[in-house]
Amino acid sequence: MSEQLIYWAAALYLAASVSAAAGAAQASPTLRRLGVSLLTVAVCLHGFSFAVLHRDGPPPLTDLAAAVSLTAWLGSAAFLFALLLWPRLAGLVVLVAPLAFLGVVFGFLPVDASVPLPVLAGRWSHLHVLLSSAGLALLGLAGGAGALLLIEDRWLKAKRPLGSARLPSLESLDRAGAVAMAVGFPLLTLGFITGVLWLRGATGEWWTGAPHQVWSALAWFIYVGLSSARFFAHQGAHAAARSAALGFSFLIFAVVGVEVLW
Amino acid sequence: MVRLLLVGVNHRSAPLAVREQFAVEAAVPVLEKLVAGDEIEEAVLISTCNRVEIAVSTQQLEAARHRLERCFHSELGSGLAQSGVAWRAEFLYEHVDAEAARHLFRVAASLDSMVIGEPQILGQVKDAFRLATDHRTCGPILSRLFEAAFTAAKRVRSETRIAERPVSIARVAVDLAAQIFESFADKAVLLIGAGEMTELALAALRQAGLARLAVANRRREHAFELAKRFNASAHLLADLPELLPAADIVITSVAGSDWMLRASQVSEAQRLRHGRPLFVIDMGVPRNVDPAVNRLADVYLYDIDDLGRQVERNAAERSVEGERAEAIVREEAQRFLGWLFALRAVPTIRDLRARAEEMRAAELQKSAVRLALTPEQFLGVEALTHTLVNKILHAPLSRLRSALESEAGAAQLEAARSLFALDVEASSENGAEGALDPSPDDS
Repeated sequence: MSEQLIYWAAALYLAASVSAAAGAAQASPTLRRLGVSLLTVAVCLHGFSFAVLHRDGPPPLTDLAAAVSLTAWLGSAAFLFALLLWPRLAGLVVLVAPLAFLGVVFGFLPVDASVPLPVLAGRWSHLHVLLSSAGLALLGLAGGAGALLLIEDRWLKAKRPLGSARLPSLESLDRAGAVAMAVGFPLLTLGFITGVLWLRGATGEWWTGAPHQVWSALAWFIYVGLSSARFFAHQGAHAAARSAALGFSFLIFAVVGVEVLW
Repeated sequence: MVRLLLVGVNHRSAPLAVREQFAVEAAVPVLEKLVAGDEIEEAVLISTCNRVEIAVSTQQLEAARHRLERCFHSELGSGLAQSGVAWRAEFLYEHVDAEAARHLFRVAASLDSMVIGEPQILGQVKDAFRLATDHRTCGPILSRLFEAAFTAAKRVRSETRIAERPVSIARVAVDLAAQIFESFADKAVLLIGAGEMTELALAALRQAGLARLAVANRRREHAFELAKRFNASAHLLADLPELLPAADIVITSVAGSDWMLRASQVSEAQRLRHGRPLFVIDMGVPRNVDPAVNRLADVYLYDIDDLGRQVERNAAERSVEGERAEAIVREEAQRFLGWLFALRAVPTIRDLRARAEEMRAAELQKSAVRLALTPEQFLGVEALTHTLVNKILHAPLSRLRSALESEAGAAQLEAARSLFALDVEASSENGAEGALDPSPDDS
């Protein structure tokens, strides 16, 4: 049943992506609203599928595909929550819905990339996956907001503005990016710490030098730099957006890409 | 036969000096007076700063036309003579039936407004309808007409982008600012110099919620004069280095050939602003702001030509949207007119059936006596005549109904009444226009 729900959720994420893209292209608030509505239904089904999965025992979140799927769900849910606070962010659905779709589809791919560690110390492993996924989702939102800000900035500078009805304002994207990073980075940090504790519980070592560990640590250090620049060095909106987008690209590579490649 | 008539004066038919004489302060007495007479059955009065229109339903078109002309000339426009403006028939326009419906639909959808797509007009038309309904000057015909107009307006708003693209320099400036800033309530504007265009942009920004404003000018007295007019703080151009970091939007319009704002100045201000976005609108001719400013991160510079080009793009987009909106209006108007024309057929269909039934019953009675029919035979012949009459009438009545879905059907209706001599002997009680079911049973 869980699998059926995931398929439906993926179809709805795809429909939301198409509707949101058409809404942005035609500056149609109706299509954009439809995109958000479809995303909401998709998030509900997706969440329900995790609940069903959990009914049959602890969900296999240490499986990379499930973890990415969880990240997509958390990111979409965080976006819908943000919409309650800043309704003008609705234009961001044009990025969130396709990313969520890709996240779910990743789970369907025949990727043999489960973390090569014995699933011991269940509490730490699940806490690690939950916290890391939440952090990843929020940093993904920050990256998405940053990417959209860069696109809008480019059009505004080129004197070809897209129109205030199509996409969120630069200020709201910047603010959403800042909030997402302010919450997402501490969650990622906690995810990193619980990951180390899980490793210690499973292998008796704090550090094994595995690619997943090395790249994750590298990504964390990069985010330390990005967060410092953003919150303490008064980085401008454009630079912060570029950092958030690039930072998330690196983070995705470190967490997912490395697992797939190595 | 029920007819629709709309008579009015608007921004295209009469200048402001005339329109303001027609302004209606209390619509209810006007409406009650109109429906008190025999000429007009229902009336709704729309009064805005750009138009005064009265829509009525009537059985006596000519009489209603004269009544409305008298209303505009002698009652609403009684102040014209005092203001020294001579009455001219061209001030008024009138639309009948289909044209009246289409006009009202265009008005409600803001296609007939001075600023096409402006949202206030729909609310004003709704208020006018509500007022007429509350005071019972609006009946079933106009209710249906106005409800259909609201549906058309809603469709135009949701299915087209007619109102989305601003087509004035000032509105384009506000729209651009809205793409940069989430809200204007906490933003500060710095106005350098002055001019008609800058004042319009400022007024539009104020309307959008802008609160804080600083004015800088070469001469102290000019700065104070502007500051007083816009309720702002006054400064000299020498204060720019201190003013720039505090501003989120800068509008410049200063005479002179040298750059008023250089990239280095703005860059320094941005450092102090911690890179918060800055929107610079250069309305000076020649330009006041170094174009290199647009290359600075988080700074967006638009000069008068950039704004003008955007206005042109928006206008082109609007005209495409306007065509789509007109198509929606035509479609909704056609739907309403189908209902109205079908409604008009009710008395004719009823008269025709009554005439046929009368003849059938009379002939049956005569034949029953002449042929000395038994009760069983009488019932058989009666059923036969019923079937015959229904079969004969079925095709003409069906065709009449479909013809009446278009405006041209009115001629066929008249022809049917003439062919069957319905106007000669039709009893007055058969002309029940109040019956709103356009599909009586003819089977």
